[in-house]
Amino acid sequence: MPCTITANSIKSPITPTWCPGCGDFMILNALQKAFVELELVEANTVIFYGIGCSGNMADFNRAYGFHGLHGRALPNAIGAKLANHKLKIVVIAGDGDFYGEGLNHFISLARGNHDVTVIVHNNSRYSLTTGQSSPTTKKGIKTKSTPTGLVEKPFNPIASALVAEASFVARGYSTKFLDLIQLIKAGISHSGFSLIDVIQLCPSFNKKEDHPFFAERIYNLATVDHNPNDKIAAMTRAQETEKIPLGIFYQDKNSVPYHAHLSQIETQSLIDQRPNQTNINLAMAKFK
Amino acid sequence: MTNKPTRTTPFTLNWKIAGQAGEGVMVISKMMAKICKRHGLQAFNYLEYPSLIKGGHQTGQVFASNHQASCQKKELDILVTLNKNGFKEHRDEITPQTLIIYNSNAGELDKKKHTQLTSNIVEIPFSSITKEKTGSFNAANIAVLGASAYFLGFDPQIVEKIIKDEFAGKNKKIIKDDLLAFKVGFAAAKKIGQPIKKTPKLKDDQILLTGNEAVGLGAIAAGVQFYSAYPMTPATALLHYLAAQQENYPLVVKHSEDEIGAINHALGASFAGIRAMTGTSGGGFALMAESVSLASMAEIPLVILEAQRKGPATGLPTWTEQADLSFILTAGHGDTQRIVFTPGTVAEHFELTKKAFYLAEKYQIPVFILSDKFILESHQTMPKPESKHEPLRQSMIKSAPKDNSFRRYKITKDGVSPRSIPGQEHGLQLTNSYEHDEFGYGTEEIATTISQVEKRTRKMDSLAKEIAQPYLIGPKKAEVTFVCWGSTINVVSQLIYDQSLAKKQTVNAIHLPTMWPFPKKEFTKLANKTNKLIMIEGNQSGQGERLIKQETNIVFSDRIHRYDGRPFYVADLQIWLKNRK
Repeated sequence: MPCTITANSIKSPITPTWCPGCGDFMILNALQKAFVELELVEANTVIFYGIGCSGNMADFNRAYGFHGLHGRALPNAIGAKLANHKLKIVVIAGDGDFYGEGLNHFISLARGNHDVTVIVHNNSRYSLTTGQSSPTTKKGIKTKSTPTGLVEKPFNPIASALVAEASFVARGYSTKFLDLIQLIKAGISHSGFSLIDVIQLCPSFNKKEDHPFFAERIYNLATVDHNPNDKIAAMTRAQETEKIPLGIFYQDKNSVPYHAHLSQIETQSLIDQRPNQTNINLAMAKFK
Repeated sequence: MTNKPTRTTPFTLNWKIAGQAGEGVMVISKMMAKICKRHGLQAFNYLEYPSLIKGGHQTGQVFASNHQASCQKKELDILVTLNKNGFKEHRDEITPQTLIIYNSNAGELDKKKHTQLTSNIVEIPFSSITKEKTGSFNAANIAVLGASAYFLGFDPQIVEKIIKDEFAGKNKKIIKDDLLAFKVGFAAAKKIGQPIKKTPKLKDDQILLTGNEAVGLGAIAAGVQFYSAYPMTPATALLHYLAAQQENYPLVVKHSEDEIGAINHALGASFAGIRAMTGTSGGGFALMAESVSLASMAEIPLVILEAQRKGPATGLPTWTEQADLSFILTAGHGDTQRIVFTPGTVAEHFELTKKAFYLAEKYQIPVFILSDKFILESHQTMPKPESKHEPLRQSMIKSAPKDNSFRRYKITKDGVSPRSIPGQEHGLQLTNSYEHDEFGYGTEEIATTISQVEKRTRKMDSLAKEIAQPYLIGPKKAEVTFVCWGSTINVVSQLIYDQSLAKKQTVNAIHLPTMWPFPKKEFTKLANKTNKLIMIEGNQSGQGERLIKQETNIVFSDRIHRYDGRPFYVADLQIWLKNRK
């Protein structure tokens, strides 16, 4: 029997280096818990990390991992998925990482409905570089890089994911730990591109948006009359600014992932078809 | 690569066609080269075209011989021009012996003006005779092929077979019309005059392909399973070729969102255990540079085709140059490892691409195929390669110890660490762009940092013995030795061959198929036996010469640079040799 992930097996020997009170602790714990509850096979679970406080999670999981470059975790993950679509693939990224540096990858690759689950740690700051504004920082906010106040309006990840044809779009909150586990499990179980935007507290560089700030604004979509199969309704919810909806905004129940469209990997993954011998006759037929 | 002169009487033909983009110039030029190959000749097909879809001035030219034909040649046996532009544009290539075939549907000729060039002008209304027979102008280029076939004394059966092969899969009406157009063009030419050549029929044991296709074929021989790219001339044809091969091989080709995505898709696929490649030109590669550093640091095998075109910036996008060498040697931040192959002939593109995959996997580093528009988009004949190849896996573990003690970045003597891939039990590892310990976990610790840096560096010494070494072409002793890297050898070796036929051997050459790690010892050994070293390269700043000087302190007597987007010509080198003091 292949080893499945356990609460102990997934822990790396390295102690997390995040600031006390950082939302990343909860996201790490929720991810590990989701893996355990889904009984994922250790060898077939791979995590791709971008660069930022979120990406530092790479050292805290004992798993197959790829700690790449800022903004580039998604294209790495998708290359690996195409190579071996039997792998369960999770991408860990930050708001600067995914909605800033890697935005073209996000918008372009969501359309392909690649079967990967992206968890974006969204604290509205570039915290590892000491707190500059990020794509999700609110207009007018003063940071070290925007001393007179940010001019841009914030990027809307949920609405953007919907427009970009992501087939699973959800928002979590690092403090709502149990709900977050369920969201991550639902995202991983979804066959197609899953975006889970996770509001993450940053006690070092975003002190004003603390737990009391969110506590009076959040509500769970499961508690209201919201049908996650209804994309228009999801788009309407995504436009809310006063209140912050949490949960699954949208899920395409008929989602067909990218790899399922490729006849050359219909019966076997590429890795299972690794050639020990090649015959180039077909490839040179036109050169004769 | 330079053939030994045989006893057969040398036969050559040099044919060129000029017309507008959209008139089928490129298609028939390639067919022309294919016809020569099927007659058993060596052939080279060189294309020039502007960066647009319709209009402009476009040419295709085929040089073929029963001896060596490794590049295009200037003085033409036949110039086919589909409009009057051809006379003006190719004045330098016309000799008194050149037969000019003119499509008289493009307007009446001012005979006086043109007979100054040559008296051999044949006027055939290709468009109208094609329309008359087939009901449309579409196959007019095939009528041109018919007239050319007559004047060059081709076997019509070989041409007809090629028409059928070329358009196989298209509807029957197209093939029927093309065969009709061929016959009508052939007959029209026959009415006018005598053939100027009688092309011999020899054994057809070669294949004809472009540099791009040779890279693709080499990749398939090496078991490539993933190619990701964003279209960019002159690497686009590799994307097309491999995309079409998906139906034949366990291969996925991903047209990526941009070049950054392209290289990172390939790195992800390679990390997962399959052989992966990306390709682009200079501008696209500039976007990839950061990820070359990632591949080097995280030790992920990767093969990259960098197809040089005339820069800087957008430059002359459909023309050739060799000016990305300095960039490729250092692209990527930090102390990074790489191999840079600079293949010359199409055959060498095939061989070195195969080798690139082997070395990339064995030493877990990025390997470049640095080539250029000239050879990547030209067709050249090469001996038919073996059908079967064995892409044996390198540096990968079969299984990991059950006690979870596997170390992905284990410190080893040769610098090569064992590699596990996702899916392998107990092989857990973190492939890391941060400096890392033996397991892959990030570290900033001094001793670990030094040992990992030195481990990666040691790989360069270990692999040095496996690179493609420089070699001498032509006579052992010569007045002048040309030194070249990449595609230039195709022209230089033709010059050397032509000299050997004329029994006037003054030149030999050293070709460098690897520019990094620079083969100091082998190159110095060859250079020490020469008289006058002349560097010849397709750039303005002398990038290859600068590298050689940096690595060996060898000083050149003189240098020939070309940076107008055009390839070198044998005739130009002959003039250079004549004018040399």
